[in-house]
Amino acid sequence: MGTNRLRTAGICALAMTVVTGLAACGSGSVATGNSKSIQIWEGYTGVEAKVFARMITQYEKSHPGVKVNTLYVNSDNTLQKVQTAVAGGAPPDIAYLYGSWAPNVAKISSVVTLTSLVKQPGVDWNDFWVGERDVATVNGRVIGMPALVDNLAVVYNKTLFAKAHLPLPSANWTWSQFEADAKKLTISSIKQFGTAYVTPGSEDTVWHWEALLWEAGGQLLNPDNTKAAFDSPAGLTALDALRTMSVTDKSMYLDPTDSAYANLFNSGKVGMLVTGPWDLSAFPNVKYGVQVMPSFPGTTGGHQTISGPDNWVVFNNGASRVKTAENFLLWLTAPAQDKYFTLKTGNLPTRQSTANSPGYQTQMNAALPDVSTFIANLSNVKQARPQIATYPQVSQVIGNMIVAVLLGKQQPKAALDAAAAKVNQILAGSG
Amino acid sequence: MSVVPEARRVSTAIVPGLVRRRRRWPFSPWHLVLIPATIVLLFPFVWLVVTSVETSSEALRFPPDLTPHVIRFQNYPDALNAAPFGRFFFNSAIVALTTVVCNLVLCSAAGYAFARFRFLGRTALFIVMMATLMVPFQVTMIPQFLITKWVGVNLLAGAGIGHIGALILPNAATAFGVFFLRQFFRTMPIEYEDAARVDGANRLKVLWKVVLPLATPALATLAALTFLDSWNNFLWPLIAINSTAASTLPLGLATFQGAHSTEWPLLMAGNVMSLAPMMIVFLIAQRYFVRSVAATGLSGI
Amino acid sequence: MSLSASLALSRRRLGERPGSRRLRRAESLTGWAFVTPATVVIGLFGAAPIIWSLILSFQQNNLLSSNTPFVGLRNYRQMAHDPVVGSAIWHTLIYTVLFVPGTMVVGLFLAVAMNRKLRFMWVYRTAAYATMAISTISEALVFIWLFDPSYGIVNYIFSLLHLPQQQFLNSPSQALYVIVVMTIWGWSGFAVVIYLAALQGVPKDLTEAAAIDGASPVKSFWRITMPLLSPASLFLAVWLTINALQLFDEVYLSTQGGPLGATTVMVYYLYQQAFENFNFGYASAIAYVLFIVILVVTAIQFRIGRRFTYYRS
Repeated sequence: MGTNRLRTAGICALAMTVVTGLAACGSGSVATGNSKSIQIWEGYTGVEAKVFARMITQYEKSHPGVKVNTLYVNSDNTLQKVQTAVAGGAPPDIAYLYGSWAPNVAKISSVVTLTSLVKQPGVDWNDFWVGERDVATVNGRVIGMPALVDNLAVVYNKTLFAKAHLPLPSANWTWSQFEADAKKLTISSIKQFGTAYVTPGSEDTVWHWEALLWEAGGQLLNPDNTKAAFDSPAGLTALDALRTMSVTDKSMYLDPTDSAYANLFNSGKVGMLVTGPWDLSAFPNVKYGVQVMPSFPGTTGGHQTISGPDNWVVFNNGASRVKTAENFLLWLTAPAQDKYFTLKTGNLPTRQSTANSPGYQTQMNAALPDVSTFIANLSNVKQARPQIATYPQVSQVIGNMIVAVLLGKQQPKAALDAAAAKVNQILAGSG
Repeated sequence: MSVVPEARRVSTAIVPGLVRRRRRWPFSPWHLVLIPATIVLLFPFVWLVVTSVETSSEALRFPPDLTPHVIRFQNYPDALNAAPFGRFFFNSAIVALTTVVCNLVLCSAAGYAFARFRFLGRTALFIVMMATLMVPFQVTMIPQFLITKWVGVNLLAGAGIGHIGALILPNAATAFGVFFLRQFFRTMPIEYEDAARVDGANRLKVLWKVVLPLATPALATLAALTFLDSWNNFLWPLIAINSTAASTLPLGLATFQGAHSTEWPLLMAGNVMSLAPMMIVFLIAQRYFVRSVAATGLSGI
Repeated sequence: MSLSASLALSRRRLGERPGSRRLRRAESLTGWAFVTPATVVIGLFGAAPIIWSLILSFQQNNLLSSNTPFVGLRNYRQMAHDPVVGSAIWHTLIYTVLFVPGTMVVGLFLAVAMNRKLRFMWVYRTAAYATMAISTISEALVFIWLFDPSYGIVNYIFSLLHLPQQQFLNSPSQALYVIVVMTIWGWSGFAVVIYLAALQGVPKDLTEAAAIDGASPVKSFWRITMPLLSPASLFLAVWLTINALQLFDEVYLSTQGGPLGATTVMVYYLYQQAFENFNFGYASAIAYVLFIVILVVTAIQFRIGRRFTYYRS
């Protein structure tokens, strides 16, 4: 009996191999040969994916002969896939890549320089926000077209503010007000926290703090990116503000995995969050409001924020395919498409002209309450993260510094000094 | 270890005259151990199933709510309609089943040779095979990609990058399978094989007619484990596949998980549907464990 | 002492009889005929990539630019000055030492419990198997919730038992142990399946005879069942160790190496170096150090296994 079954299995194996061979032949790789056929690796999900697909159909209809193949790749994994494909000599034509990778992406030899493309008449490069242009440019060379722009602001729970009899945050509020509000919103008996902070020590931990640092009038590195500059009084102010809440007041929920904070806010367990516009659609259960980040009075920084723009990057698969890819990108990032995409998805506009177009902000607010604050906040993006290839290492050091202070393992001053020493080592090339 | 007193109770049941003592329990005391253990083992599974029928606003809660107010079965068709899941399912099934069959054939031949034959370079070859398990995929991934690409261009187009054959061939035989079966074959009594050889059967026939039928529990186990591994594999398909048409289920499920937002109910509904074939494979494999043991006469069941 | 020596010695137990030279040559040929198909696949897609990555470990390679100069042993020397490598090795070893025996004990216990005819047994066995089938992301999310300091069930149980509240994943001294618990949970099903299959090979007549002879079940478990399970135990010990030393997914999906590097294990660190910091050459060198660690540990296991493993032949 066992033998019979094994024989059957053997026959199945044979059959299966044949089927596989056929299936494999049927489902080949795409975008080879035809210069009018290009492939895009993008990370759109849900509504974004549907809208993007609709736009592609539209483009193909208006550009007969052009075929745009899309492949979903989670944006976290895209660079890894691109690196492998580049090593194998078969990159996509366009890929959606995080802005923080730009200085390293620029080292890939098949990345196409777009400097002259964006200077063409009709592109209106300066219509893109300065934060986007900065991140798409590495040492004066444009390596990408802006794909997404965002920024950080404070999202607060109106119901919890009312329950605590607190006035809602105003546009000119300060960090000491934020701290006081957070303290009053903290009710340990029902496990309610004033605010939350992500503490995996990753870039997500770091960029929140960088916004505070800038507001306190500080800088991460010196102007020519050769030495740490965050071990300054401004750095101390920024770190102290976080420490007061996490260690002294215990009004800050620390999320070591970056996975709970948004759902906590949506469950009404957190009063205020410093976060970006992408999270708004994850808060269907609470009545929230949005306000710009508080400032540190007496400093030059004022109200600032940080943006983490992402880029569309073109790879060289032959001149004609590059041409097709560039034409598609010019169309995709043109004002009409930008406006269409943001209105349908709730993403922020990548162009200033879109933000200023009549009736636009009202339409946006109808879909996502208070998203206009994030749009207005784009003009508070006054600087970008240092565009250097060693930024990932620098970020890891600063991430650990922040976490050490938030967990009460280190005093802010000592943490700053130790981190600055390590960063200097990295910048000197011996990290 | 607490296994021991419990073991006493059960094994005494075999001895005639002591059977009555066991009757004092309306059920086997082993249930008292197994039920709490099962609750712990199944807890994440329960969470998964509950989330898969929640509305998205209820799924966006922390701490999670295991008692949803609305049960939304619509998540299942919604998940299926969000992407060509029929295609993904078909691809995954072809890849997993072919991988399983190839592994059973190739690894049992190699495992048997390592267990029973003396041949030149056996030990060295075994060490090299084991060594392939010891370097993390994160660094061998790129060389493997380049080799797969080369194979696709020069040897077998259907196994090149972008084809689902690229997901089968590199895993058609694994050092894990060879090691696993080698260990198992070594525990089997050699007498049956000797008897067959005296009767004039050649080595291949001995393996086919004598050894493999006796090894069904191990083969079923390896089949279940290989299926699972192939079915859940994410990283290699991620880099080796370049089209939706050749994508597998894990790649399809990833489309619910954006960098900034995740559609949890749909993702979990997809996960539950993806679990089903694995559980079916296990239930089939489990039947073989018992049956083949009965056939060998090794046990008194 | 090497793996080969231990394997050569263990050959004696295989019941192989010395034959004539011609017979031996024939056996050699048959042996190669049997292993060649698997060898081709494993050689091409397993062995060749590891040799390739050995070459990469002597390069300065960021996987971005095509300029990849050879730098000799620089990547290896750099490790000596990198404190994270030392702590990553340490975390990896602590993790392995806890995870491997933990999983084996849990797996053996459950397998023994499940190795009998009971009603609903298929539910229990399926539950064990489900832990293997469930995706790591689901597993990680559930454990993050269970061990949340404020909202988790574990701290809730602690409060019922009047135990002090713990910080778990927020604590550099506890996070690694949470990962140990999480992964034991995730792998226990695997150990159950292996031990269940092996338990089918334990002849009931042997244990029954022992029971009738008056041997206590404790004694017959240790004297009869455990030796018969020893090949499975060796297999599990080796396989779990190989996987434990290469822990990655659970760390990546939960703590991302933190807090403060407390869960930075070797593969997580080399991943960071390769794909976050773009030091692929350095990552390959770390991988090779890990390879040596695994090779040594596995060789020791085989050597110990040779002494304690009982093969029935």
